[in-house]
Amino acid sequence: MRRLAPAAASAVLLAVLAGCGAPAAEQAAPATLTWAVETQPITLNPQQWSQNKARLLVFNQFDALLAKDEDGSYRPWLAKSWTVSDDGLTYTLDLREDVTFHDGATFDAASVKANLDQFLVPGYNAAVAAIQLRSFKKAEVVAPHRLRITLKEPDALFLDFLASPYAGQISPKSLKSAKDLKFGGPDLVGTGPFILDRYVQGQEIHYRRNPAYRWPPAGAAHRGPAHLAEITYRFLPEAAVRVGALTSGQVQVIEGVPATEVALIEKDPSLALHTSLNSGTSYSYYFNTSHPPFDDERVRQAFREAVDVDAVLRSVYRGTATRAWSVVGRRSPFYDASLEGSFGGDVAKANALLDAAGWTGRDAEGYRVKDGERLTVREVASAPFVRDRRDVLAQAIQAQVKQNAGIDFQVRIVDQGSAQKALEEDAYELFGNSRGDADAGAALNLILPAKAAINRTHFADPRVDKWLAAASATSDQAARKKLYAQVQRAAVAEHAVVFPIYVPADQIAASGNVQGLGFEPASGTPASAYDVRIGT
Amino acid sequence: MIRRLGTGLAVLWAAATASYVALLLAPGDTVDILVGDGPDTPEIRARIVAEWGLDRPEIVQYVSYLWRLLHGDLGRSYQAQRGVGEILAGQVGPTAQLTLAAAGTGVVLAGVIALATAGRGRWARGAASAAELVAVSVPPFLIGIVLLSVFSFTLGWFPVSGAQGPRALVLPALALGLPIAGVLGQVLRGGLEQALEQPFAVTARARGLTERALVARHALRHALIPAVTLAGWFTGTLLGGAVITEILFGRPGLGQVAMQAVTGRDMPVVMAVVLLSAVVYVTISTLLDLAYRAIDPRIRT
Repeated sequence: MRRLAPAAASAVLLAVLAGCGAPAAEQAAPATLTWAVETQPITLNPQQWSQNKARLLVFNQFDALLAKDEDGSYRPWLAKSWTVSDDGLTYTLDLREDVTFHDGATFDAASVKANLDQFLVPGYNAAVAAIQLRSFKKAEVVAPHRLRITLKEPDALFLDFLASPYAGQISPKSLKSAKDLKFGGPDLVGTGPFILDRYVQGQEIHYRRNPAYRWPPAGAAHRGPAHLAEITYRFLPEAAVRVGALTSGQVQVIEGVPATEVALIEKDPSLALHTSLNSGTSYSYYFNTSHPPFDDERVRQAFREAVDVDAVLRSVYRGTATRAWSVVGRRSPFYDASLEGSFGGDVAKANALLDAAGWTGRDAEGYRVKDGERLTVREVASAPFVRDRRDVLAQAIQAQVKQNAGIDFQVRIVDQGSAQKALEEDAYELFGNSRGDADAGAALNLILPAKAAINRTHFADPRVDKWLAAASATSDQAARKKLYAQVQRAAVAEHAVVFPIYVPADQIAASGNVQGLGFEPASGTPASAYDVRIGT
Repeated sequence: MIRRLGTGLAVLWAAATASYVALLLAPGDTVDILVGDGPDTPEIRARIVAEWGLDRPEIVQYVSYLWRLLHGDLGRSYQAQRGVGEILAGQVGPTAQLTLAAAGTGVVLAGVIALATAGRGRWARGAASAAELVAVSVPPFLIGIVLLSVFSFTLGWFPVSGAQGPRALVLPALALGLPIAGVLGQVLRGGLEQALEQPFAVTARARGLTERALVARHALRHALIPAVTLAGWFTGTLLGGAVITEILFGRPGLGQVAMQAVTGRDMPVVMAVVLLSAVVYVTISTLLDLAYRAIDPRIRT
């Protein structure tokens, strides 16, 4: 028996060597991946999309017409080029000619027109029809792959629409035949790098590779079909469970890493953490200027000065949060860096301002009073929108303003209906909000103009309205940047209606051997799985 | 029996009405809920009102709601924009699987422990009753996390979630079933011990029946009555606990749908889940009444 051993050993060796000859084939072997995500999509139809947390799914199954870059410029995608007429009213798109939908139908100008016209169907998506497409007049097929779009008035944000999930192209055939058009599903097909083949509500969503795919946006890390043969996104709403599933190797990627778990993941050499700031607005407190005490600018400034934002962020987010200085997030090309360091943390100034504003008395509990009224400010937050430990953040700020300036900051977290009621009855002094719009200008349009949909500060400055309107009408990036800088200075420095706190970010944690994870350049949300691969 | 059915239907009607009234009384109006965090303009509001028929008088909306229910139409979800019936249909199976597995786990564990420890030494009883107390008092959420950290994240015996057949069902069924085993075990053992002290037990022993046969043939039947009454209670525990368990383990099911609907104020879905729970309750309590008759012949008359 002993004599046989060397023979056996060499046989093993041979087998190993033979195995070594094939690593190339092994690397090319189709790979599968499981990715645990926090939030379930409420729709799989890109044109009904509304959740930033579900954006990472959209561009697996669908492609948009354009792709947006971090600096706010646009790159070709399904439209290989486009021109805008001098009056800003006519957009001509030249489309790729080699694109097919998952159902075999050809992608052409007629299908883009069908997708645009779908928004005009009453009840399909009233919100997009009224906001993003408010200036859309008509689309005409000029040639099989050339489309002319006419607007009613110039609209700089129209290109943003063409690069958004709403411009995800759906096969016209399935727009008609889908069993549930608004919800979508495997029978609502696109042109994307992955084909949706299974959705189990509450459990997972499963895609397989589209072997015909060769039309990623310009600038993608590779061309041709996706690296992964299959990808499963599993819904695990509990952060601790997601992290446990990752560390035990049951999933390879997780999205949404709580600050409390960041240290654990960074310590583990087999895991990698990727972070990206979001686009849109920073998480800010908006002061309600319609009634006391925040109708007085000095009180607004005092509140900001009473908080040591850096210390608060350090204790709540353990150093993982990025401080915000403007209502516009740091990632946006429109961010006005000149506001940095312009407010916050000057306790003496806070107290002087409050004294000057007449809040000179103190009651038994140490809060400031004026004319027998305590200096009380209330924040009403809707529970479904409280994320990122914003409740804990509010408590930390509560402690600071009490201790530093004698302000009684009350935080109420309630259901959506009660929050809505408080907003309607003007029964709040503070309102916390961040928006993830890819174009920060779109967010400002909703927040700052006197008649804006979510102007909860009741702040009105005709100059701001004018600047915002002008910025929406021009597509000159430099001109827009200048206008938005003026808007930010007016809102943050001059009137102090907003208290920027931190820039929201997305985190992905993954096993070390997962490559190609990234974030969408414009939105800062996790990118699709197109470039993701397993290997070294 | 007919009266029993009549009461059942009345309970269902009351549940349907109560959930409808709750919708009316809830703060904020339906249009706000439908607008949600999205863009909000008067045109959008007008369109939403027309689309959902919210401009009709409340009583008309209520009657048409009942009418639709009678026809098996549960309405459309505000959030998912799909038929509620369709949403729930896909979720009933996984929840039934989970709750039945949990109930089975609970009953078997309780039975085994009670039979093994009833009337035994202080030591065995004390240990069992301490374990039961822990199972009852620790919230299912924590039980779930502990089970996951030990058996899934550390030992890797069971997956967190996913379509992996029975293996993926073990931990959630345990998390949901342990509290039931705790309560049921206490009650069953108490009942058994009481029954074993009854005169009939003494007689049976005198007739030469072994202790085991006595427990199996006579005492268990007595102990079962309070235990069966508890089954009504644990239907509620199971349905409630399913919410937490499904979310924790990333399992599909009614609980997870209910949670999403409540946080998103998706009232048609919430109302349908309430109604469905009422149906389950009524069905189970009717079945229990029948079970009493089988267990205790005295009730039959």
